[in-house]
Amino acid sequence: MSYTMFSAFEFKRKDTYIHKLDPRTKMFMTIVFMTVALLFTTIIPLLITFIITLIPILLAKSVEEWLNSLKGTTILLVFILVINSFIRDLNFALAMILRLIVLITAFSVFFLTTHPDDLAQALIQMKVPFDFAFALSMATRYVPTLAREAQTIMDAQMSRGLELQKGGLTQKIRNLIPLIIPLIVNSVRRALSIAESLESRAFGAIKKRTYLYQLKLKKNDFIFIIFLTLYLLLMIYIKIYSPLASWMEWKFPL
Amino acid sequence: MIEVINVWFTYPNGTIALRGISLRIRDGESIAIMGENGAGKTTLVKHFNGLLKPEKGLVLVDGINTKETSVAKLARKVGLVFQNPDHQLFSTTVEDEIKFALKNLGFPSEEIKERVDWVLKFLDLERYRERSPLSLSGGERKRVALASVLCVKPKILILDEPTIGQDAKQKRKLGELLKKYQEEKNTVIVVTHDVEFASKYFNRIVVMARGKIIADGPPNKVLTNPTILEESSLSPPQVTVLSHEIAKKINNFPKDIVLFDELLNEIIARLRR
Repeated sequence: MSYTMFSAFEFKRKDTYIHKLDPRTKMFMTIVFMTVALLFTTIIPLLITFIITLIPILLAKSVEEWLNSLKGTTILLVFILVINSFIRDLNFALAMILRLIVLITAFSVFFLTTHPDDLAQALIQMKVPFDFAFALSMATRYVPTLAREAQTIMDAQMSRGLELQKGGLTQKIRNLIPLIIPLIVNSVRRALSIAESLESRAFGAIKKRTYLYQLKLKKNDFIFIIFLTLYLLLMIYIKIYSPLASWMEWKFPL
Repeated sequence: MIEVINVWFTYPNGTIALRGISLRIRDGESIAIMGENGAGKTTLVKHFNGLLKPEKGLVLVDGINTKETSVAKLARKVGLVFQNPDHQLFSTTVEDEIKFALKNLGFPSEEIKERVDWVLKFLDLERYRERSPLSLSGGERKRVALASVLCVKPKILILDEPTIGQDAKQKRKLGELLKKYQEEKNTVIVVTHDVEFASKYFNRIVVMARGKIIADGPPNKVLTNPTILEESSLSPPQVTVLSHEIAKKINNFPKDIVLFDELLNEIIARLRR
């Protein structure tokens, strides 16, 4: 269960148009999709946004991985649906779910198609200090390791008779303690040993680093950025001057 | 008794870990499962307590299909100690750590106390009763992890790589303890790369390679066979190497020796002749 959820955000090497884009272009894309999703609160515009967000997923041939990421968030989606239906109404709740799906999609397309090292390099070229960029790329690199470890811990504790599904809500939360504590302890131990092995390889010995690879924006990146900018401007225009046709405001009759 | 009938297993990432495994483990046996890294040893033992369910085939524990029961139910019968103790230690004291499985399995509190006392004594851990398991050394943590499973007194005890990180003395102690436990009519199964440990304390060696069982028999038949050892990336016990070398020089000298005492007796017998 836990593993499939994480695998949704794990980089997979593929040879597609999206994979070959510069990480900065993809970063921009994620920001644009996020912004647009946050502009609207009604179903139809968000549905359109959603369909547009699907284009890079299709181009990146990552539909399966993306579906896995959604599967992992089902509980959260249901939770949002129920809460919002109570507080506001079903239309608003559905819109909020669409918005969340767009956000997840925007992030998952970024992480699915961007190698952690490229992400770090992009940040460095955007003048983020090397230490931070490195820490971030390390963190992404350890997500699958942590997921595997969580699975092993779960197996080990189940072998000692732990039943995760047993009991009421408080009991279920207490059932997690035997999983979380070993996970934290091991992570701290691992962090310390990583720090030691970094230092033993002279991490930070030279203030000014040079890099083997430099990222460069290519023709495809510029085309993509132009499309994204136009899309963003159009959406802002629609939002501000609100020339929303009446069908755009369509709601479920309740 | 564990019956494994033509079991196949594939991991979600597509690795085929088991390719048609059949195995029968009778009560009271002591078995070492050996083989190169990635041969499927750990995958196989995870089938014994139902953590993994066969994709094809059947695993029966005392006649119960593992597909039709839960890991928690099987935990009373089958105890599995994982390779890395850090994957299971979480309590504030060694005593609580041991109580965890007993409480999960619903033992009455008096029996819990008895069993904790018994296992601490059995594994020579009494002086650590109030210590935090996380503050102990690697070898001690491994013994606490063993204690936390052994306290259930499972009829079938499985240990994954129990000798890693243990010095010679602890290894000997562990071997003797496992033998003692097995002699009380329990089944003991280990996964190990340690040929000396396996040949000394176990009666049956099961060798795996690429998801299949390639040999199954007593140590002096399996661990002295160069073809099997080669295929499973194992090195023979030192005693076997020595007896093979002697056999090159002396006619009729037996090659199927795995234990030091056997070799010694053989040499003395020949000297006296």
